[in-house]
Amino acid sequence: MVVAEPTTLIIFRVKGSLELRCHLDSTETSHIQKVLSRTFENLRAQIKSESCVFTVCNTPVIIWPNKDVYEDITPDSPCEDVLQRIQSDEPESGGKRATKKKGKKDLSASVISLRLMMEVTKPGPLSAPVISKTVQKSHFLSATLPLDCAVRTHSKDTIKDVCDRLLEALTQQLCEMEKVMLQHMKGSTLLTAEPLHFLLPEPKGLVTVVFPAGVPDKELEAQRRELHQRFKLPNDRPYFRRANAYHFPNEHYKDGYLRNPHHALTHPTLENGKVFMVQGIYSYHHYMQDRMDDNGWGCAYRSLQTICSWFQQQGYVEQPVPSHKEIQQALVDVGDKQANFVGSRQWIGSIEVQAVLNHLLGITSKIMFVSQGSELASKGRELANHFLTEGTPIMIGGGVLAHTILGVAWSESTGQIRYLILDPHYTGSEDLQVITDKGWCGWKGADFWDQTAYYNLCLPQRPRVI
Amino acid sequence: MGRVYIVDEDVEEYLSKLCSQQAGPVTGLLIGQSSGQRDFVVIAAPTPKDEESAGKTVDKEWVSEHARQVSRMLLGGLTVLGVFMITDADAKDTITTLRQLVFAVENLISSEQKWSPAEDDVTDCVTLHVNPKTRKYPFFNSAAKPADLKYQSGVGSCWTTVSCWLNVDLLIPLPDSRASKENSQKGLKVWTRQIENAVCLIDGKKLPEDSELTSGQVVSKRQDLFDKKALSEIISKPRSADVVQPCGGSVTVRGAVHCRAFLHTHKPKVKLAEKVLLKRDAISTVATRVQMLLDEPLASEEQIKDFSERENCPEFCLPRRIFCPLKSSGSLYVCDYQFSDEGLSEIVDRLKEMLGVDTAEEDLDTTQEMTAEITQGAFMAAAAALLATAASMMYYSDM
Repeated sequence: MVVAEPTTLIIFRVKGSLELRCHLDSTETSHIQKVLSRTFENLRAQIKSESCVFTVCNTPVIIWPNKDVYEDITPDSPCEDVLQRIQSDEPESGGKRATKKKGKKDLSASVISLRLMMEVTKPGPLSAPVISKTVQKSHFLSATLPLDCAVRTHSKDTIKDVCDRLLEALTQQLCEMEKVMLQHMKGSTLLTAEPLHFLLPEPKGLVTVVFPAGVPDKELEAQRRELHQRFKLPNDRPYFRRANAYHFPNEHYKDGYLRNPHHALTHPTLENGKVFMVQGIYSYHHYMQDRMDDNGWGCAYRSLQTICSWFQQQGYVEQPVPSHKEIQQALVDVGDKQANFVGSRQWIGSIEVQAVLNHLLGITSKIMFVSQGSELASKGRELANHFLTEGTPIMIGGGVLAHTILGVAWSESTGQIRYLILDPHYTGSEDLQVITDKGWCGWKGADFWDQTAYYNLCLPQRPRVI
Repeated sequence: MGRVYIVDEDVEEYLSKLCSQQAGPVTGLLIGQSSGQRDFVVIAAPTPKDEESAGKTVDKEWVSEHARQVSRMLLGGLTVLGVFMITDADAKDTITTLRQLVFAVENLISSEQKWSPAEDDVTDCVTLHVNPKTRKYPFFNSAAKPADLKYQSGVGSCWTTVSCWLNVDLLIPLPDSRASKENSQKGLKVWTRQIENAVCLIDGKKLPEDSELTSGQVVSKRQDLFDKKALSEIISKPRSADVVQPCGGSVTVRGAVHCRAFLHTHKPKVKLAEKVLLKRDAISTVATRVQMLLDEPLASEEQIKDFSERENCPEFCLPRRIFCPLKSSGSLYVCDYQFSDEGLSEIVDRLKEMLGVDTAEEDLDTTQEMTAEITQGAFMAAAAALLATAASMMYYSDM
């Protein structure tokens, strides 16, 4: 039996801009269409021309793919050779990298960034320029098209293959941009197009979709419906909202919050047990962040912020994560608290979390009540079901503490249970190593709970929309 | 102390010669390259005679206009560094005049600049007063501090040359209303930015900015010429609105320009060569020529006036760049622009008048930019231009 050697996946991503410029004699729709199509033809010709160049970022490698000229590398080199050339370290997504445990599958493929450029010099001597002028009251179309194509390759694929695929992808993207621009033309108002990448469940993988720039998600539902159909995706969760765009492993999160710190953990294996966890991306919110000293009273607020960040990053809402004041104001607005609540350091519980999620984000939540902490050990099935069907983080409040439950490891036969806890009481910096080593994000046993206190859990429900 | 100015001995000789000729004060421009703590002066260009003022008083505007026109004839790396005046009047009388002149020249040149200034640009201009009677040479910078002056032979030799042919394919909108004060430079902004952000390859390689340029070839008669390619990348954010704007028409410019820049050291840093000097030369040669046609119709040039006034002009040749070697230096060139109805003799005359450069038609290099063939229109000039091209090509093969 021949066992194929596992090859790592590499993503080659090329980005570049092309100027779309044309002179419009009239603003009549059919004329604009004709001129626009002709201009796009010229742009596609540029991609196919000998002036088209790929430069590999952070390396001296430069490639003229249509001329078969390769600087500093040969066309037959396997892709993994390029990986070795990359000199600078790629930045981690917020916070420091924890040492990966052996055997843990590296979910993030390596990404190689390329820039699309055009060569503007030629060997001479050449003809001096010729100028021509048209004076006419007319219109001028000027836009920058942000080209962005990504292909997934195996490490043994050759550079030449990759370049061919990228050229094809760029040409295809220009066609799609032309289509999108013409589709969304209203009179003489035109929108530019922007490409976004989405990581769909395997085997579909990475796909790129061109959207009209500046059009909000709520006006693009028809497009998303068509995409769900084309890729055979369920119609009860979003895959193509702008917030769902794939976050490449080599891109920084500008806000500085850690994303999914639980990915750095090894999950427990229980006899006949399974692990059920939050689905998607959330940010870790905790004490002292945002220059807000809420040490000792803000834990439920922080858990609520983590939940809000989940809804925003999955594309369900556009609102940014609310501040403590905004949370308090929301409770005043719904009549749950008096006006002097705003600016105070009063605690909130799961009922308030439910109210704020409803008022600010339009999210409904279920409340689960246990009269004493020891009962939580028997809630395995319900928690597992929640993570299966909703996949949202859970806020749990009881005694004097609030926490976020991100997952549960549960064995139906033995009843063994573990809880994946994200602790908002952490006061340090966004250091993934510390957070995972010290258990601020970690698996806890049933003894984590105060056995005699009563607990309320807020289980946010995922809207069934695309 | 301050900056050190190294002046070529030929320039000194020339200034001496001017001293011995009389007829009132002589003014002119000092031309060369600024870098680090040292400046190199390679040309002294006397102000052309103005019939009206009869050479008695120094006309600030005339000198500034001279500086403006001379700047167009200088290639990358060479700029107007200052002003000189030869007069036997007392130093303290002349100093005010000189300072005024220098400020006027400085202002005009920086307002004409078509590229974004860099942080380490030196903007100090200098004044040199030569008194033929006393043969004293008080030399000051524009802050009226004395500057150090040294004479050296062969300052103009052993410069490094960087050059390329740049493809130009532009579409520029014209302003919507005639009353608009916008000039062609606004339309060129996107392109200028592209060039400024372009990546330059020397001999096909992208070199780190701090490395030094070295020639791979043995230098014989000509200086090191690097084969340069420039890649350009557009860096700007996409706008979703305002994609279509009203305009008053459009202008297209298509063809290629030959760009060249000089650096005075044997091993110049890559960053200076490509980033600063060659790109600036590219930007200014295109902008200058477009400006000549669109913004400043010369009354005497019938065809050009015709072009800028007429509603629609199918095609018109932009003036092509002719290069003239400086005899005093082994490697430096200046340039001029030849309109399609001009012959080389006019170029020779202008070089003499503007820069004080003595040259003959045979010495001019007309091979770098060829005259474009116009597909429509039947200017007589076009025929003359083609003839001129043929002549130069024959000449070239004779060499």
